[in-house]
Amino acid sequence: MPFTRGFTRRFPPLRVLSDEQVEDIHRGTLRILWSTGVHIEHERALKLFEQNGCKVDYDDMRVRIPPALVEECLRKAPSSFPAPARDPNKTLMIGGNNLCLAVAPGHKTVDSQTWEPREATRKENYDAVRVLDALPTVHFFSPYTPYFGFRGVPACMAMPESLAARIRCSSKFQCVGFSNDSEMFAIEMAKAVGIEILGTCAWAPPLALYRDAVESTFRIVEAGFCLRVVTGQVMGGTAPASIAGAIVTNNAEVIAGLCLAQLIRPGTRVLCKDFTAPMNMNSGAPAFGGIEIAIHNAASNQIFQRYGVPLDNTTAYPNAKVPDYQSASEKAFRVMTAGISGGNTLLFHGSVHGELTHHPIQAVLDDDMAGMVGRYMEGVNTSTEALALDLIEQVGPVPGHFMSAPHTRKWWKLEQFLPQAADRLTYPEWQAGGKRTCLDYARDRVQQILATHKPMPLTPSQEDAVERVLEEARAYYVKQGLITADEMREYRESMKSPNYPYE
Amino acid sequence: MSSDILAGLKKAILDYDPDASAAAARKAVEAGINPSETLAAMTEAIREIGEGFNRGDLFLPDLVGGADAMSSATPIIQEQIQRLGAKTQSTGTVVIGTVFGDIHTIGKTMVATLLQAEGFTVHDIGINVTSDQFIEATRKYKPDILAMSALMTMTAPEQRKVIETLKAQGLRDGVKVMVGGGALTQEFADSIGADGYDPTAPGAARLARRLMGR
Repeated sequence: MPFTRGFTRRFPPLRVLSDEQVEDIHRGTLRILWSTGVHIEHERALKLFEQNGCKVDYDDMRVRIPPALVEECLRKAPSSFPAPARDPNKTLMIGGNNLCLAVAPGHKTVDSQTWEPREATRKENYDAVRVLDALPTVHFFSPYTPYFGFRGVPACMAMPESLAARIRCSSKFQCVGFSNDSEMFAIEMAKAVGIEILGTCAWAPPLALYRDAVESTFRIVEAGFCLRVVTGQVMGGTAPASIAGAIVTNNAEVIAGLCLAQLIRPGTRVLCKDFTAPMNMNSGAPAFGGIEIAIHNAASNQIFQRYGVPLDNTTAYPNAKVPDYQSASEKAFRVMTAGISGGNTLLFHGSVHGELTHHPIQAVLDDDMAGMVGRYMEGVNTSTEALALDLIEQVGPVPGHFMSAPHTRKWWKLEQFLPQAADRLTYPEWQAGGKRTCLDYARDRVQQILATHKPMPLTPSQEDAVERVLEEARAYYVKQGLITADEMREYRESMKSPNYPYE
Repeated sequence: MSSDILAGLKKAILDYDPDASAAAARKAVEAGINPSETLAAMTEAIREIGEGFNRGDLFLPDLVGGADAMSSATPIIQEQIQRLGAKTQSTGTVVIGTVFGDIHTIGKTMVATLLQAEGFTVHDIGINVTSDQFIEATRKYKPDILAMSALMTMTAPEQRKVIETLKAQGLRDGVKVMVGGGALTQEFADSIGADGYDPTAPGAARLARRLMGR
């Protein structure tokens, strides 16, 4: 079960809403889009909406989208679409019964002994990408991956450097974000290397879209790439505290983004995202480990199946700080819910705590959990051979057994998923082996991957193109005043390693 | 009589009722109660909510509800103060906002509310605030403290930009700068020349008092 091209669910999806509830939420969404509308700080976008029958208040930058236009745009968006990877064997199909998993990024890395956060180095960033490239259940890369930045790199260069590292060290499908026009360089890099990218349009809940997000949308869609429309709402803070209310606001935002993409270029491939978390009412931080997210995702998946539009589920960030029981349970509910309720993508691997930290050891542990869900989604094969009635009759009652049957030698491998870091030893074996845990096995696997895995290399001209675009970005940000002379000196210094760009 | 009115005002804030607190504030003005006494009653109420929050008995919606109730009464008393030319005591004045490119509001709002509970006069200038807007607010409100929030690694450098602009405009010496946000560290705050940093909202309120020398 290599799972390198995503998981396919072989049974009907979980239904947590009645048909009537789905329609209530849909009608609520249409009402909010038409009566309340959304705030969009971008004149060109406002004009485009107005030309297509929306009510636009330019003073308030408010767009009210009529229900008929919403329905038309939902119809124009493809229900599934290919996501081509640099390695054609890793090209994905996003939508339908497929679930594709991606990297859950973090601002920083952690010390793998103390689990305390710290800034990643260039080498740690590149090594982390290599590990993720080797893991079969990491189907694609999300933006900012795996770290939001690394030592020596000015903050404004974090996005271009992230994409460069991912293109150099992975042949999988790539998603890109936006910050300070970084999407311009992402588009240029992708075109120069000859790859597809998934761009991002991110809302500022409730119901607001700022200029940089709209610019990113125009640039990505006009370049012919696919678009991920993301929110990021916190229930009780930037969305209603009730799950149904928070589905309506998330829906309204991502559907308004989908409409913008369809108005710019009809038929644009859009992946919407349900990105919701309850608020920790003590701290104000998102309670990313909350089970409420799973039920919110399941309900949203059901609604987007009605729309026929692929849906990305809330990134599986744990509230835990170490890969422990809490971390595993927080992640397991989320990935399993996405798997059985029809989520199409999920940022999953490697987050240690929220969006603040990421580590390859965690990613390796998550690879096992992801594989288990992939196996679950395969469901139950009830073919004649799988039912094995002839074999059961042939073996009969005790003392008969199945161990020597050719059927067993074939079918156990088809049915069992074998986790690589889980401890499955007996007590005596475990004691004799030094009482090693899944963390020890995960550390070993990271080392083994780093020692042996060789990503699909770029051609020399592709490599030149990546570095050329990075230089263009550096010059642009210096001109914008976003890189100081001191920062540039430190940055150049960090590039003098004989193993640049890898360390 | 005045004590009944002030008790009603305090109760309105403790009940998170902005209409009732505005009505009680108007009654206080009509009864000619000294605005300093009225503000003291309001601060006592919001401090009680702040203490309940810090103890874990109350939660964020209670804190923000109390702040809203207080905010609806404050302009009524401020108008009375201006009309009478009275002097009032405030712990200090703070301008607070989330930096340009960053639309995260919750942490900033929590800090603003807890600062109010500490008796600060707070001007919350919102999210996605450019350095020019921070400078404009600094000139307008002449705050003792300028507080900036940035959740994202990519937007944290905006805080440096604001501090550099304050320096360039000759405003830096007149204001203390405190910074916060999920991606920040003390090391970063030191590197950009901020006067203070704290990773939590209650800690930020205590930090503000320290910066005021209290």
